[in-house]
Amino acid sequence: MKVDKTLVASVALHVLVIGWGLVSFSSKAFESTPEETLPVDIISSDQLAKVVAGMKSGKKENPKPLVDKVAEAKPVDDAVGKITEKAPIVTDTAPPPQPKPAEKPVEKKPDPPKPVVENKPNEEPKPIEKKPDPPKVDPIAEALKKEEKKPPPKPQVQAATPPQPTKPKAERTFDQTKIAALLDKRDPSRNAAAGDTLNSNAALGLVNGKAADNSATWGALFKEQVLRCWKKPYGGIEAQRVEAEFSIKLKKDGTLEAMPAAQTTPASPFQRVFQESGLRAIIECAPYRLPPAFFEEWKYFNPVFDSRDL
Amino acid sequence: MSEQHRPTNAPFRMGRRQLLSGLASSGLILSGVHHAFGQVRVPVVGEAAPLPIAIPNFVAGTPSDGEVGLGVAQVITNNLKRSGLFAPIDQAAFIEKIANIDAAPQFQNWKTINAQALVTGRMTRQGDGRLKAEFRLWDVNTGQQLTGQQYFTSPEYWRRIAHIISDQIYERLTGEKGYFDSRVVFVDETGPKERRVKRLALMDQDGANVRYLTRGTDLVLTPRFSPSTQEITYMEFGQGDPRVYLRNIETGQSEIVGNFPGMSFAPRFSPDGQRVIMSLQQGGNSNLFVMDLRSKSTTRLTDTPAIDTSPSYSPDGARICFESDRGGRPQIYVMPATGGPAQRISFSKDDSNGSYSTPVWSPRGDYIAFTKQGSGQFSIGIMKPDGSGERILTSGFHNEGPTFAPNGRVVMFFRDPGGNGGPSLFTVDISGRNEQRVPTPGFASDPAWSPLLS
Repeated sequence: MKVDKTLVASVALHVLVIGWGLVSFSSKAFESTPEETLPVDIISSDQLAKVVAGMKSGKKENPKPLVDKVAEAKPVDDAVGKITEKAPIVTDTAPPPQPKPAEKPVEKKPDPPKPVVENKPNEEPKPIEKKPDPPKVDPIAEALKKEEKKPPPKPQVQAATPPQPTKPKAERTFDQTKIAALLDKRDPSRNAAAGDTLNSNAALGLVNGKAADNSATWGALFKEQVLRCWKKPYGGIEAQRVEAEFSIKLKKDGTLEAMPAAQTTPASPFQRVFQESGLRAIIECAPYRLPPAFFEEWKYFNPVFDSRDL
Repeated sequence: MSEQHRPTNAPFRMGRRQLLSGLASSGLILSGVHHAFGQVRVPVVGEAAPLPIAIPNFVAGTPSDGEVGLGVAQVITNNLKRSGLFAPIDQAAFIEKIANIDAAPQFQNWKTINAQALVTGRMTRQGDGRLKAEFRLWDVNTGQQLTGQQYFTSPEYWRRIAHIISDQIYERLTGEKGYFDSRVVFVDETGPKERRVKRLALMDQDGANVRYLTRGTDLVLTPRFSPSTQEITYMEFGQGDPRVYLRNIETGQSEIVGNFPGMSFAPRFSPDGQRVIMSLQQGGNSNLFVMDLRSKSTTRLTDTPAIDTSPSYSPDGARICFESDRGGRPQIYVMPATGGPAQRISFSKDDSNGSYSTPVWSPRGDYIAFTKQGSGQFSIGIMKPDGSGERILTSGFHNEGPTFAPNGRVVMFFRDPGGNGGPSLFTVDISGRNEQRVPTPGFASDPAWSPLLS
């Protein structure tokens, strides 16, 4: 049977192209990492759009951030679906790990004793350039081992001599002064979620949700409230852009603890008038209703009035 | 930082670029540090809004001063309200009645009605017949007195006192000079359209105290205030050719400015009030001349085969803007006050047939106001003296004759709606906002704003 060459070529080419396409175009699904919401200006206190610190499997109804212990708020890793990365504890009773090759074999140096190696009947593994991944070892055992380990032999010497036989086990000694070496220096895989009030029920949210320090969220609330009282003076069509910054201290009930302190010195009559308008607004609109959970953040902050038009 | 960057020995010497980048990065680090230690900054951006202000009736110092105390408060309220920058609160909402202006008011009472500023004052007839006016401007929220003054005047000038107090309040709360203590000269028009009587009239900027300067037997046009004396200059159609006149508004005396053959028109004072600049007709053309009022010497400023008219000095007296059709259609030109090359500054973008006329320089110097004609509309607008930043403030069937308030922030003009009606006066902010009709007894046109009286 005669086969059309062009047909074969065409089929082969199509298979090739489609096959290549299948491989190269089948990329990963678009990964949209859940992002903390960006606060928008138009916001009301009851529909505060935010991602609370919590877990993906948490309950939706629970509006409070997960807090395991009372401390300064700090985001924690989500423990759900993660394997705790705990290496098997290697003790001295277990077979000792393979003797490590020299820490850093000097590659450039010629290996003069190589011929000697050749003569040896027992093949010795060549020192590998790359450090093989050492088996996960318990740091405690590691630390102990380090102590008893001899300084690594020089490569030349090592190459010349047959592999050292495993030394007889050293006596387990406990050195009180080296106790620090026994500490597990890795970061714990599960941190306690901290906050100012205990709450054992995780909320639906992001593990790294930082709503608790979302100054833009309460800032928007503050702005919304102070704008009701701010009568921005009209500076004319050629008005220079001015800013008036105040430092304010608020009590927990939202009232002013002290007179707002101006952080800017007015340079022009209009700037003075502008600054006074901001001061009036801050005083007139107090007390401010701001989320009490973030009191630590809004008890002391700087509102900046900007003459720029919206 | 300098320790690090000091070239100590050869291997560590830094190139200029490295040094620059090092400085830049350390600057970045420093700024970061600054922010790290600074407080959280919460930006507040909003729209401009009129300031709520409470102006209770001024306290009567003697039992007979109640009426004037009420009048002063009304004039101030009206002035501030018309400026568009203040929102005077209705007296019916007041909780506290100010009885003594020497004691601080109960600010809580004024806070409750959302007042941010409060004006208290007292009018007292003195033993010598004069009137004493005192006022205090309070910041309701901080409880501070922002300003306070007292004045003595003849009782009949109580309105002026109210205007002066308005200016004080305006200046203290906006950072700008006020314009309430000023007057406007205009052409009052009465009678049917075909037999309109035009009289020269003078009034306060709020429309009060109208006085007529001429009887209306002759047609008058383009009155202009002297910046320094109680004089006005205007054009009058007497017997024969129209001429430029000078009139003292106190004595009523008037005289012809110069003795020129042919028509003289479109006069305006120089900023020092010593000279009058105007157009003189020469055949079919007209050119600009300036006359010294003391020496009567006349200097020609332009010499073109065109119509040069409507000259207006810059406030420093160094330049003149005027209207000329030397390029075909009337446009605005700027030239040195001594004459010389003129530069066209008006270019209509939307209408190639657009023309510009009646330029007038702002007392601030930052803008030139004009009448723009094009696409069947007469518009009032402003532009910078270099011709940039053109902004139309109002448009319609017929708007003409802009004149600036003494602070350069408000423009007055006249508008004729067409038909059988007549023109009336309006003010508008130079942003184009807050258009207000100025009350006049009859029809009114050709307004000219005086400088501040005090």
